[in-house]
Amino acid sequence: MDTFWSRARRSTNSATTSPRRQLGLFAAVCLILAACGGADASEPADEGPYEGIELDVPLAKPDIVLTDTDGNPFDLRAETDGRLTLLYFGYTNCPDICPVHLAQIESVLKRPAMPSNVDVIFVTVDPARDDPASIRRFLDQFSTKFIGLTGTPDELRAAQLAFEVPVAVQEGDEDNYTFGHAGQVFAFAPDGYAYSVYPQGTRQTHWINDIPLLAALTGESTP
Amino acid sequence: MRFWCSTLEVPWSWEFRAYPGIWAVVVLMTAPYLIAVKRRSDLGNEDPEQARRTRFFLAGMFAFWLATDWPLGLLGASYLASAHMLQFLLYTIVAAPLILLGMPEWMARRILGRLRLYRVAVVLARPIVAGVLFNLLLILTHAPGVVDVLRTSQFGSFVMDMVWLLMGLMVWSPIVSPLPEMKRVAAPLKTAYVFLALGVIPAIPAGFLTFADNPLYAIYELAPRVHGLSAGTDQQMAGLIMKIGGIPIIWGTMLAIMVAWLRPAELSAGSTVVSGSVEPDSADIHPADTDSSVDL
Repeated sequence: MDTFWSRARRSTNSATTSPRRQLGLFAAVCLILAACGGADASEPADEGPYEGIELDVPLAKPDIVLTDTDGNPFDLRAETDGRLTLLYFGYTNCPDICPVHLAQIESVLKRPAMPSNVDVIFVTVDPARDDPASIRRFLDQFSTKFIGLTGTPDELRAAQLAFEVPVAVQEGDEDNYTFGHAGQVFAFAPDGYAYSVYPQGTRQTHWINDIPLLAALTGESTP
Repeated sequence: MRFWCSTLEVPWSWEFRAYPGIWAVVVLMTAPYLIAVKRRSDLGNEDPEQARRTRFFLAGMFAFWLATDWPLGLLGASYLASAHMLQFLLYTIVAAPLILLGMPEWMARRILGRLRLYRVAVVLARPIVAGVLFNLLLILTHAPGVVDVLRTSQFGSFVMDMVWLLMGLMVWSPIVSPLPEMKRVAAPLKTAYVFLALGVIPAIPAGFLTFADNPLYAIYELAPRVHGLSAGTDQQMAGLIMKIGGIPIIWGTMLAIMVAWLRPAELSAGSTVVSGSVEPDSADIHPADTDSSVDL
């Protein structure tokens, strides 16, 4: 009787295992293992507990007062006391780094295991275009809980110097300009010190590792 | 001016970008085909099936161009893992089988003969070899370390696209190769092969993408967002595309194979290629290459 399987068997021969085939398979497996085990170019090189770039000397949270998106004065030290504070200098027309940083942080903070004592602060370096309303609109794309700050050009310049970063530089013509600005996020632990910073290219896995560690650094537990 | 789509560090824009390298490759693959077919026709070798084959080939080249060029090529090379996966599907389950369906037997023999690749092609067209190698290369070319490195350079991106197309040609050879000796596998086994090689096994890495806790690819995670699509959602979409995007073609192929197999012999005889009728150009293939034994 011509069954399904007998027809199948008739038209095929059994598999052979040639040395060439074995060699090919071995080479392919080696390639895959090499690909999976390859070094991640974005991995930080330091050996400490943090995935961010650790500072040689922790940076004390600067004593600055700027203006929030409601128009009220915002005293950085007083308003963020005892909370993990992620602070970033940027501008709402930034085409690349700023929205990526904020989207990464937002994606991580909304996870259930993340601590709740975290503030995210965005300080504009473009006060001419970034009025409080436009900062609020920009931040609300990521989270309504993110805090936006602005100030006079002198106040913003002083703030950047207080954080020991280069003052943002306007690039391009008057109608369509961008800024060269510091690209790292400062992470101030609840004890008021930044132990690490997070440059462009920081991945979510880095934040997931560091945010709980930093949020737990209250004054009593600080090393 | 760039030659091939690769990672850009600027926000995504729908403003057109030209990649002349891609156009050149499409022309270099299409023009010789059309010229060879025309010459063959002018010499009086009329083939009633050639018009249909030409349509298949051009459709395959169109799919190749669509997957490679702006906008999909750039989205996949720089911004979205989901676009990357759509490219992969276009290369491997649309462009490749259409190109094979459009390739006349004499042309396939001539190409393989001139390149001295006939024996290699026959080995690669064995279902077990093709299925295993396809899936190993699938895993390799979707490994984060490989994607993050290759996509950042134009040459690397070109290599990845070409490897995908060659993978597609290899995995479809046991089913729709222009050479009868490459597809002399029983229909039930062909169906099982398509199901396993193209349907089941790729679903495993697709599952990793869909259910990963974090974005796996640095280039897509750190790229400026496209229309607000988050990196996590994009990656889940990529996994779903890989998992279910090919279902219509894969299940359609399986159905077509089984229908053809179950059709009464007298109805299908007209479309069955009998090995005795094959007339390879002897100048193109080494005599030892014409071993027609079937081997899984």
